[in-house]
This record gives sequence, structure tokens and C-alpha cells, in this order.
Amino acid sequence: MREALKLTTYSGERARHGGRPLADVLMDLYARRQVRTSALFRGLEGFGAAQRLRSARVLSLSEDLPLVTVAVDLRERLARVIEEVAAIAPRGLFTVERARLLEPNGGASEADLGGGAKLTVHLGRHERAHGRPAYLAAVELLHRHGVAGATVLLGVDGTLAGERRRGRFLASNALVPMMLLSVGDARAIARALPELSAMLSGAQLTLERVQVCKRDGLLLAEPSATPAGAHGGSAWWRKLDVYAGEQTRDGGEPLYNALVRRLRAEGAAGATVLRGIWGYHGEHRPHGEHPWSVRRRVPVLVTVIDTPVNSQRWFEIVDSLTMHAGLVTSELVPALAAREPPSSADSRHPEP
Amino acid sequence: MSAVLLWLGVTLIAGLASVARFLLDAALSSRAGGRFPLGTLAVNLSGALVLGLLVGVSLHGDAYLLAGTAALGSYTTFSTWMFESHRLAEDGEGWMLAMNVLASLLLGVAAVAAGRAIAGG
Repeated sequence: MREALKLTTYSGERARHGGRPLADVLMDLYARRQVRTSALFRGLEGFGAAQRLRSARVLSLSEDLPLVTVAVDLRERLARVIEEVAAIAPRGLFTVERARLLEPNGGASEADLGGGAKLTVHLGRHERAHGRPAYLAAVELLHRHGVAGATVLLGVDGTLAGERRRGRFLASNALVPMMLLSVGDARAIARALPELSAMLSGAQLTLERVQVCKRDGLLLAEPSATPAGAHGGSAWWRKLDVYAGEQTRDGGEPLYNALVRRLRAEGAAGATVLRGIWGYHGEHRPHGEHPWSVRRRVPVLVTVIDTPVNSQRWFEIVDSLTMHAGLVTSELVPALAAREPPSSADSRHPEP
Repeated sequence: MSAVLLWLGVTLIAGLASVARFLLDAALSSRAGGRFPLGTLAVNLSGALVLGLLVGVSLHGDAYLLAGTAALGSYTTFSTWMFESHRLAEDGEGWMLAMNVLASLLLGVAAVAAGRAIAGG
């Protein structure tokens, strides 16, 4: 097990650097530096500091959807990449989280975090295990071991084992990265780990600390107190993640949609919705894309990053909208953003 | 008006009309919270009303080509209406899907009729 860092950047499809799309510049950088694993995800809905709503639901709002990039590597290697990213996008929003990189076939002792944990599995789109898609087998296994939730996100670009894997139209795209995010009790994850790493030999597994706040409407913990002081020159921010189904509703409205609307109305610094292809987040079977159904039953992940003080209000909103369903986690992350989030609905700030 | 000038006019007016559609649609949709495609409905209904007016005042010839086919043809949008209806189906929003399809159809025909009535045609 080795110390690793995970860099996550948030921007929009229109963000550019040096005449090229910012996300392309970042993915090129990750490939050039042979970052161990990285992936680019397209958002479903969201807004940034300029409070402009973007949504794939309405054509006229979908020309600048949120983009999220994730890069994971050993601490020293990624630290250098982070410096380069900071130089490329000084006004962008990005967070750096500490993660532990699991050795292949690592055992349960590696998950002795106590409390809650987040397991991230990076694998190729068409990788298989036990005669079926590896992500289906992995989610099934986590579900069987009683891990609170798992969501599979499909990347469109990225690196696997340091090599560039970019999705292309009309190509097999077998090794384009996908990311399985699983959160829950650290002991449950520890129980699942030996079998999981044996099944997914070669896949990249990382572990992080996370606080599981709510599941299926049950309040398990309020977001923890903020540690005093800054972390290496950057402030602590809070990242709230809400895992739900795209069809999970609060009243008549989909949960993720209600959440984005409320957060935007109250002046949150931003929110990003990613749509998964498979997963579960409560007491139900894993679900996802089905080729014969028009109606989609896929998981969604809503991420809200703001200062810990502001985040108290956002947690109250999240809490009020997840009375019956949804898996809510909280993390304190040293966000290396040059831009402070606005304290209220302030439209003068640029988009991240 | 020469044919070249006319087609240049069609190009220019159609371009401006589609920009107007985009701006109005985005402003309304953003206000509606991105849930119901209100912008597309508003664009299509207002387009139908104006086309009814144009027919009502018996506009014809080049003016009709420019205002009707060029301006309203690119201002209103069938494909977006269909796309957003399909998205509502994917989201399992049965009522909104029915409302989006029926409101566009029924109110659209009514808007044309209203436009003609206003113009006295």
C-alpha cells in the first residue's frame, strides 16, 4: 500500500486554454506525464460560480456541460502534475485528496481505516471477470458484502497504467477508463477487498477516508468538524457527495434536479451531476442501463464543493431532500483553487 | 429583388432568427430550472402565432419567403421538441411527456388560428 494523491478538476466544455479545450489540455498533460490512472467524465447537469445552469435535459442549456477530470498517482509524481495544472488553470476549481493505492491482491488489512471509506476502482470499459463485464461483477460483489453503495461512471478519455486511452466514435473503446466509486463502512469494504482484488487482477484500487452521513433517509452522522488552520497553504473545503438514482424522486421532481435547483437558488458555489451506468445506493439491487428500455434507471452522483461554513447550509438542503432515499457522504478536502467560492449568489465570478 | 440578394436575405434572416430562438429558449429554460422544456414550447407557440398573423395579412411573394420560411422556419424547431420529448421519456416523466406533446400540438394549432383571427384573415 502506498501513499497516493487524487486530483479532481471541475470545469465546463467551453473552458479553453491556449486556444484548445481545457479538458483536452489536461488529458494530454496526464498522458504526457504517464499518470497512473486518469479519466474524463461529462456531466449531466450543474452550475458553477457564475450560477449559469447547464443541463443535458434541455437542448439550449446543453452546449457547455460540466466536465470532471480525475487523476491518481503516487504522491510525488502527482504533486508535480498538480503544479502544472495550477499553472494551466489558475482560476479553475480543483481538489486534491489523499488516497492509498492498494497493491495487487492486497488483503483486508489494507482497509483498516475505521469509520467510512471510499474505494475507487479504475478499469477499462470492456474488461471482463467471471465471464461478464468486470464492473457488473465488482458491483455485485460489493453489494453482497453489504457495502453501502457503488456507482460506475463511464469515462470518455484518460490513462490506464500510464497509457492514453481515448474514446472514439465507431471504435471498440475497450480500454477507455471507467471508474467504480464505492462508499460504506470500512470494515465491509475490507471484507470485500481480497475477493475483489483477486477478481480484478491488474485493476487500480485506491482507498480514501470518507464520512457516510445518510443512507436511505437515515441520518448516520452530521458532517464532521473542520480541522483548524490551512493545509499546506490551501484552505479546507467540504465536498458533499449525494449518490442516488436518476429516477429517485422527492415529491414529483427527480432528487438530483431538485438539489441542483435549490442549491443554485440559495447561492451555492457550484454543483456537478454525473450520471453512472450501473450501481446501487441503498437497500435495493444494483440497477442501470438496459438496452430494451426507453426509461433509464441509472445512478447519479451530485457533488457540491464549498467552504465548510457554507457547506453547513448545503448539508441542510441535502438532508431535507434525502428524507427517504440517497446515500450522502462528506469529505474535507484541501482544495487548491485560486478562487474563493462566493458567499452568496454572485454572478460576477467567472465559471470554474 | 435579384435572386442572389433574396437568398442572401434568407441566409441572414434565418441566422438571426435561430439566434433569437436560442437566446429566448435558454433564458426561459434556465428560469424553469431545466426540468420542463418550456423554452422550446414558447418558441414554437410564438412562431406559430406569428405565422398565423402573416397568413392572416396575406403576406406573399419575397416578403412571405423571408418572414415565413426564413425567419419562422429557423426560429421554430421540430427536432428540439422531439429530442426533449424523448429525454422526458428517458427520465420516466410520463405526465410531462404527454403535456409537452399535447400542449405543443393543441396550443400550436390554436396559436395559428389566433394569429389569423387577430389579422382578420
